[in-house]
Amino acid sequence: MKLTKLLGAVSGIAILAGAAMAEDQVLKIGALVTQSGAGASWGNGMLRAAEMAAEDANEAGGLDVGGTKYKVEVIAYDDGYKANEAVTAANRLVFEDKVKYIIGTVGSAPILAIQPITEENGVITMTLGFTAEALSPDKPYTFRPNPTTGEVAQPQIDWVVKSQNIKTVGALFPNDETGEAIAKDIASAYANAGAELTVKEFFERDRVDFVPLLTRILAKGVDAIELDGNSPTTAGQIVQQARDIGFEGVIIRTGGPATQEIVNVAGAAAAEGMFVHSAFNPELETASAYQQRYTDTYGDTMNGFSPFFYDGTKMLLLAMQEAGTVDDTEAVRTALENITNYEGVVGTVNWTGEEKYGIAHQLDSPFYIARVEGGAEVIVAKCTTKGCE
Amino acid sequence: MSFLIAQSLINGVILGTLYLLMAIGFTLAFGVMRIVNFAHGEFYMIGAFMALIGVTWLGLPYGVTLALTVAFAILLGALIERVVFRPFRADELSGMIASLGLAMILQHGALIMFGPDPQAFPSMASGVYRLGDLIVPKSRALTLGIGVVILLGFYVMLMHTRFGRGLRALVQDQEIASLYGVRLEIMYPLGLGIGIALAAVAGALMAPLFGVSPFIGSTPLLKAFIVVILGGLGSIPGAALAAMLLGILESFTSSFVSASAADILTFVLVIAVLLFRPSGILGRGEA
Repeated sequence: MKLTKLLGAVSGIAILAGAAMAEDQVLKIGALVTQSGAGASWGNGMLRAAEMAAEDANEAGGLDVGGTKYKVEVIAYDDGYKANEAVTAANRLVFEDKVKYIIGTVGSAPILAIQPITEENGVITMTLGFTAEALSPDKPYTFRPNPTTGEVAQPQIDWVVKSQNIKTVGALFPNDETGEAIAKDIASAYANAGAELTVKEFFERDRVDFVPLLTRILAKGVDAIELDGNSPTTAGQIVQQARDIGFEGVIIRTGGPATQEIVNVAGAAAAEGMFVHSAFNPELETASAYQQRYTDTYGDTMNGFSPFFYDGTKMLLLAMQEAGTVDDTEAVRTALENITNYEGVVGTVNWTGEEKYGIAHQLDSPFYIARVEGGAEVIVAKCTTKGCE
Repeated sequence: MSFLIAQSLINGVILGTLYLLMAIGFTLAFGVMRIVNFAHGEFYMIGAFMALIGVTWLGLPYGVTLALTVAFAILLGALIERVVFRPFRADELSGMIASLGLAMILQHGALIMFGPDPQAFPSMASGVYRLGDLIVPKSRALTLGIGVVILLGFYVMLMHTRFGRGLRALVQDQEIASLYGVRLEIMYPLGLGIGIALAAVAGALMAPLFGVSPFIGSTPLLKAFIVVILGGLGSIPGAALAAMLLGILESFTSSFVSASAADILTFVLVIAVLLFRPSGILGRGEA
């Protein structure tokens, strides 16, 4: 008897829930990010940015597109920073979950691997991947809502080389496509700035002991060590071990915000005085409010890329509203391209990249050079793509 | 040049000691229980997290934390022997698969509890010892010192105590050892416990050098595996020799050629040993 009552109640609730669901349309957004391994701090920052943007829309009663309210739902998959796993996840997102929008991927190899699926099916992706090949005129559905080394390296290196009077630089890179590409870019950026990348070392990504390599670099007597191209954890280990074996020169991190993780791994003492790229100005009110919300919600330190993906997701949702559709991704893409002077949490942003990539799908935003003091970033120069001061 | 040679030698010996701590536990678990313990790397990870909890959360001195880590790991090992490995005593393959499952459970357990991000671990010592041009980081010297003390303690226990003799007898021949009164019900859990404790203490020692996260176990497991294959599965002197060889080889190749060359050379060495001395440098053939 009791059991039948219970069953009745349960099915009643189920019917009610079904009715409630029917009122609201659901807009599914995929988050294909790295949640395990070395790139996890970037991936989590992106996923949570998408979740918070979705939360904003849902709190306002759903995303209003052409009079219909959509409940925004984020579906997350982990690619482990690997191209093959990203392809599996992209297939599931596109063909089983039927999403038309994907936040991700974190890595360069994964985005290049999933583009044949997403571009073919008109799925809009927002990637962090730094490779120049991610954006091109024949990949019209891919956007990059964060600045990359290509945008920030030269102005930043010019400034550091000049202000710290650096002549020779040593660097360590992961032994793969990403590492090779960055090594080439960095070498020419230092040459343009009037310094020389005298020692380059390549290592396998899972390496944790850098002392033998650093011994070699130090034996050549360099003024500075460049960390660009390394995951936050690896960069932290390099900083700690370089200081451990007595390196007293300048340490520079050109690309990718990772200061918090580097300080976590290396310790505040070892990281003291290093120059880092910062995409994030804590003096900016909207930015610090976002950071506060992030730490309050997730109880975790925020990765510097996260606010860019929050803005990126918001811009994507705005584009759907302006296009008046969630299904016609071509219209949404055009609406997204047409957004100008968007006031995001990171400041005023625009799309750029026509010259460099042949398509204006690259975010243009202000950025900064910071010095690490007492484990925190202190901004020492403000930059645009034209230069720093 | 002579500076680089001496410096590489120092780096290599430090690295070799670290590998040895990992490999001895691994080879002991195999020698005693005939289990290829793929979860060994995860006990390294657990040791690192124990050190993190002890030092940064509870504010205990490093030495006390290390002692607690060892005690906890022995108990944990004994428990795991009873719950996970006991049903597979005579079955190497199933035991190996059980250990793979155990590794996944432990790694993902840590992921749920601590999250994927690397955790901050304070340096236990800073600065360097300088001998002329040569540099030894104090943090590594400390790790090396404690590692050597632990290895010596283990050696004395193994060679000069009743328990150690029992353990060695068990490695040589289980049936005859039990006929001579070696109590398997005590030796199995304790043997695995000590093996695991060595991995955990290696993790706790490495934590200030290499950081703490749920994913740190795989590299040390691979190194332990290489060392044990080179030295001969189940042979402790073989492991000692192979660990030093591997550490010095890696250090020299990384410093003089490149890091990738070190990885290539390591596996060339493994293949060569497997081809020409399949039982390892000091292995004693199939038991």
